[in-house]
Amino acid sequence: MSQSASKDELKSRFELKTVLETSRMLIESRSSDFVLNNLLLIVMGKLLTSRAAILLYEPSSQSYSIQKSRGLSIENDTEKINIGFKDEQKQRSYAFYDDFSDKLPRLINNMEKSVFFPLRTSSNHLGFLFIGGKANGDAYSARELEFVESLCIISSVAIANSKLFDELRTTNRKLDRRIHELNTLFDLSKEFNLLADRQQITNIFKFALLGQLFVRTFFLIYKTPKSVSLLASSGLSKKPDKKEIKSIFEECPVDVLTPDEDCLERHPFLKENQIANITGISIQNEKIAVIGVGKRLSGEAFAETDFNFLKSLANLAIVSIQKTYFLEERIDKERMEEELSIAKSIQRGLLPDPIPEIEGIDLAAENISSREVGGDYFDVAKTPDGSTILAIADVTGKGVPAALLMANLQSMLHVLLPVEITLAEATERINNLIFRNTPIDKFITFFWGKYNSKHGLFRYVNAGHNPPLLLRNRSNTFEELSDGGLLLGAMESMMPYEQTDVEIQPGDLLVCYTDGVNEAINPAGDEEFGEERLMDCILENRNKKSAEIIREIEKQVREFTRGPLQDDLTLLVIKATG
Amino acid sequence: MKNFKINHRTISWLDVLDLHGELDAHTASQLEDSLKLLIDSNKSNIIVNCRELEYIASAGLGVFMAYIEDVRVSGGDIKLTNMNERVYNVFDLLGFPTLYDILDDERDAVEKFSSEV
Repeated sequence: MSQSASKDELKSRFELKTVLETSRMLIESRSSDFVLNNLLLIVMGKLLTSRAAILLYEPSSQSYSIQKSRGLSIENDTEKINIGFKDEQKQRSYAFYDDFSDKLPRLINNMEKSVFFPLRTSSNHLGFLFIGGKANGDAYSARELEFVESLCIISSVAIANSKLFDELRTTNRKLDRRIHELNTLFDLSKEFNLLADRQQITNIFKFALLGQLFVRTFFLIYKTPKSVSLLASSGLSKKPDKKEIKSIFEECPVDVLTPDEDCLERHPFLKENQIANITGISIQNEKIAVIGVGKRLSGEAFAETDFNFLKSLANLAIVSIQKTYFLEERIDKERMEEELSIAKSIQRGLLPDPIPEIEGIDLAAENISSREVGGDYFDVAKTPDGSTILAIADVTGKGVPAALLMANLQSMLHVLLPVEITLAEATERINNLIFRNTPIDKFITFFWGKYNSKHGLFRYVNAGHNPPLLLRNRSNTFEELSDGGLLLGAMESMMPYEQTDVEIQPGDLLVCYTDGVNEAINPAGDEEFGEERLMDCILENRNKKSAEIIREIEKQVREFTRGPLQDDLTLLVIKATG
Repeated sequence: MKNFKINHRTISWLDVLDLHGELDAHTASQLEDSLKLLIDSNKSNIIVNCRELEYIASAGLGVFMAYIEDVRVSGGDIKLTNMNERVYNVFDLLGFPTLYDILDDERDAVEKFSSEV
């Protein structure tokens, strides 16, 4: 008797020791997996049963899942299990299957004498420990049940702790990720600010996005005022064509869009490249970019925070990319302005200043250049034989190229002045030189004349220029000085230019002009100033001085166009005073 | 200029890139150039030794993301080795261990490449 008592005592001490040791081990453990495994193995070892399991409660589905098991005979242990216990029933110390066979699940073939121990803390129900009946068919003793119960209580605390710990760890990891995201944003905002190279910005943006979101596929569509194009991409099996780029850009909202089946059908490009979502980015209420990213390679779905990161990073990058375009525009504009001012100064330098005075003639000439600087040119120069050369020309094109061609013409003209050749021959030489020295699409309309005041004779050649208008004293009709030949620089001279003499008598008025006058356009853009208006204006003002006539014509042209001049406007007027 | 450097060496048929310093947005393009150079010359068995790598930013990870597929399509791999804990944490945080072989030591990578042939 005493022996059996001491044996009992020993056994009970041993059990107590187990409980103590387990409790220490469990409480120190931070892994729920370790806790559950231990609970299961200790119970199985102590109670000599080969079948046991731990079922954990999942509040989201209000069902149980088997976390650990040994010797169960159900096939699918990932299936959710329902246990219809009421709350007060979950407070029991344990429940025999035989008493609740309608509510408890069948986990092994022979459920006889098996027991379910609720796992709980003071506030939470965690699940059940299940143990099958003893191998020898005996029922569990009260002491055994009590032992398991105390183990369950200790383990429950440990499970709850480790769960909390797991949650903390997940939260910490999430926080780490947020911090990393913020660091990335911070670093990149600094980096982008330093960069003006668009290629570098898009590259850094691409890599940061791929790395942070853990994706392989990426594209960036960007809209400039001129076009919508693919600015950067990675991992695409095929690049989208112009049409696809445009339609994706247009369809994407200014937010994150996860394309549905319909959308993927409409855009095979998105489907082929397994694009998981596209995001429209707007700056100042205008959509200017669309970013697409593929699936995350870890299989993890994108969360709201990922999208927020994507949007923030994209905004940073897009603002910087936009900045590079603005910068380019400004540089282009500055370059153009500079070029224009060069062209203007070349043009100014070529025009005679002051205009020489010529005996017996009231001469005035004016070039009013438009913003873009056309290729107008006029000249007045004395020849060695005491005559005067008057010239007016219009070079094709605008800006510096036109100004340079003009300079070319001017120098040829001045080289030929003292040479004893006829006006027609000189024209032919100029034509051949211009033709040889300039591209095929560059030419010059040119009119020039040599006025000899002694004889009142004006000899002219018109090479494709608007015919100057000659208004004879007391006549109301104009003569057009159109004889000559082809415009300069179009082809090598095949036929000699024709020179024509007209007599200039006191009171006669000659108006030379460029197409900036007759081709000036009204604001509606549907009507030109035309020769009719020019002639009327000349008739109205025929009695005024040459300079005033020019001012009147300019005034009327400006009234007609009502805006800045589209082309240079050049007038050269001579009036024989006798 | 930040201190980042890449050394290239070979171990028999394997190419090893030793990364030194800080791999961030600014220096990511250097890694890209090195990887591109290898891939363009059909070298696709690449070990990236991170022993001297002190810091890695997302853009640095992105370079690996952009080129892993090219390398694997041609039958090779990029294996990363000798990371310090701080660097490994960044890789781990963003899920890289699911896609990349990250090994303790360069020798492990050499062995692994040899056994994969």
